[in-house]
Amino acid sequence: MVNVVIKNLTKKFGEVIAVKNLDLDIKEKEFFILLGPSGCGKSTALLCVAGLLKPDEGEIWLDNKLVTSPEHDVYVPPQEREVAMVFQDYALYPHMTVFQNIAFPLEVRKKSESEIQKRVKATAELLGISQLLDRKPKQLSGGQRQRVALGRAIVREPKIFLMDEPLANLDAKLRVRMRVELKKLHQKLGTTTVYVTHDQIEAMSIGDMVAVLKDGVLQQVGTPKELYDSPSNTFVGGFIGSPAMNMLEGNLVKKNETLMIDLGVSMFELPTWTEEKMKEAKGSKVVLGFRPEHIALAKKYKKNAIQAKVDMLELIGRELQVHLTAGDCSFVVISTPSEDIKVGENVWMVLDEEKIHIFDAETGETLI
Amino acid sequence: MKFPRPRRILLYVLLILFAFAYLLPFWTCITTSFKTEKAVIETVPVQPASPTLEPWMEALDIMGRPLLNSLTFTLFATIFSCFIGSINGYVLSKIRFKGSDIIFLFFSIGIFIPYQTVLIPLVLTISRLGLYNSIEGLILTHTAYGIPICTLLFRNFYKDVPDSLIMAAKTDGAGTLTIYRRILLPLSSAPFVVAGVFQFTSIWNDFLFGLVLARGSEALPASVALANLRGTTTAFWNVQMAGALWYALPVIIVYLILGKYLMSGYMAGAVKG
Repeated sequence: MVNVVIKNLTKKFGEVIAVKNLDLDIKEKEFFILLGPSGCGKSTALLCVAGLLKPDEGEIWLDNKLVTSPEHDVYVPPQEREVAMVFQDYALYPHMTVFQNIAFPLEVRKKSESEIQKRVKATAELLGISQLLDRKPKQLSGGQRQRVALGRAIVREPKIFLMDEPLANLDAKLRVRMRVELKKLHQKLGTTTVYVTHDQIEAMSIGDMVAVLKDGVLQQVGTPKELYDSPSNTFVGGFIGSPAMNMLEGNLVKKNETLMIDLGVSMFELPTWTEEKMKEAKGSKVVLGFRPEHIALAKKYKKNAIQAKVDMLELIGRELQVHLTAGDCSFVVISTPSEDIKVGENVWMVLDEEKIHIFDAETGETLI
Repeated sequence: MKFPRPRRILLYVLLILFAFAYLLPFWTCITTSFKTEKAVIETVPVQPASPTLEPWMEALDIMGRPLLNSLTFTLFATIFSCFIGSINGYVLSKIRFKGSDIIFLFFSIGIFIPYQTVLIPLVLTISRLGLYNSIEGLILTHTAYGIPICTLLFRNFYKDVPDSLIMAAKTDGAGTLTIYRRILLPLSSAPFVVAGVFQFTSIWNDFLFGLVLARGSEALPASVALANLRGTTTAFWNVQMAGALWYALPVIIVYLILGKYLMSGYMAGAVKG
């Protein structure tokens, strides 16, 4: 099992900087996710690791071996990297049967006929596609093609799996199922995996570690829980979690020795645990962030609550999503279906004061 | 598209008229080729009369060797130009390198160079290579002249082959040649048919290169031999028509065999669906 280290990676396409000074440290056996909106450079970074793209600057180390470094004129071609890649469009060879597709990496490596037979069959069994071995890719469903693509990656027992949005072309239901299977497969094989996705739910559910990228710049690396509980800036806070975190801009003011945020629609008194950290920041513009599930709705006035009007109700299975507005701002609150709320009603949002986030409005950086 | 009934009848009448006008010379050619010399003079061209195989035999006597010559250099030049074009197309579409666009531009210019402008340097080059009046010389010339159009055809085809297929093959461990041989070549039946049919017909139909590069009988192409059938003083129409039909036969066969593949979309189902 091997680790992957990326140091100061920069890749430009003409004038556009796709990846900028990226540093990542991927431990062995880790299921590592590169997460970000489309065009954030996550696939570019992955292709650099695979050796399919040459970066302009920086170093890539696989298994403590330097494989890419423009500065030192090091470039190991993808053929020699022992990485296997799964593509979004599966990239199955259309003229070959499933068997031939899976056998291809072994044939290229001049393995013996009997070994190829044995390994392809074992792989097909592992993925539950044994009955499809004689078919051509175009005779397969999306999910089956996905498995064949995985099979082709697994069969050669590579040191690293690279996956570029492998589930993006599947329908929602199948995507959830394959997500679980991928995770199980990873637990079984223990191969270090770098996985690119724009789907934060996917990232949160299967990733051991998640790196969030935006415009080619790394925003934060952490476990899914770390990203969720303590995002490093407004981008991560807003990107992770569904429905997204509610954010409200305001001015930090001091009134009768207590720190408050003047939100325009109301004043929010900062809880005592934040005071220590907020002292340096007072007077500046801040963003108050709170997740939809960290709000209770009250019918009557409560201290430190924000008054809002109910706009719309969405009953989604076990939860009730309440959409509210206060002034120009809109919010989403996750409540329970048993809650007696009507559209048009005025309610008070009581924030869980332990779980609020405060960001600097200028830089977006997290203050607390 | 479905037309209302009266319009459809009109359409068919028009189409039949066009087909008639188009096929009439061909029909005349066939009827004449089966006539004796006397019947050619005495009967109307479109009317079949006193059928005989004589003109066909006579034409084959004269055109046999040239037909074989043409078949040889056309087949070889077609195969060579298609393969070289396909390798060029692969390199220019999938292996990006500095200046590849410029090189492709030069290839494209090659398509538009008229035959006549290169005749003198061509004859000089071929004769200095010792290939004047030889099949090899014609193969070389036609191959070289076919490379630009074949390159263009294959490059445009390979451009639509998803890059991920090439990337997958690379990470699977395949080198440049293996990727060409194992991935792209098996997918190329459609452009090979298109380029092959195009090259075969244009090389087979070529007159100018054959005329200036092969004066003797060793390499005389059928196109030139056909022109020679005309004679200087008298015209044996029946023999000429039979010769023309002999000459047309290989191209017709190629179209009959490969025509249906011209439309085939082999790439269907290559990626997601």
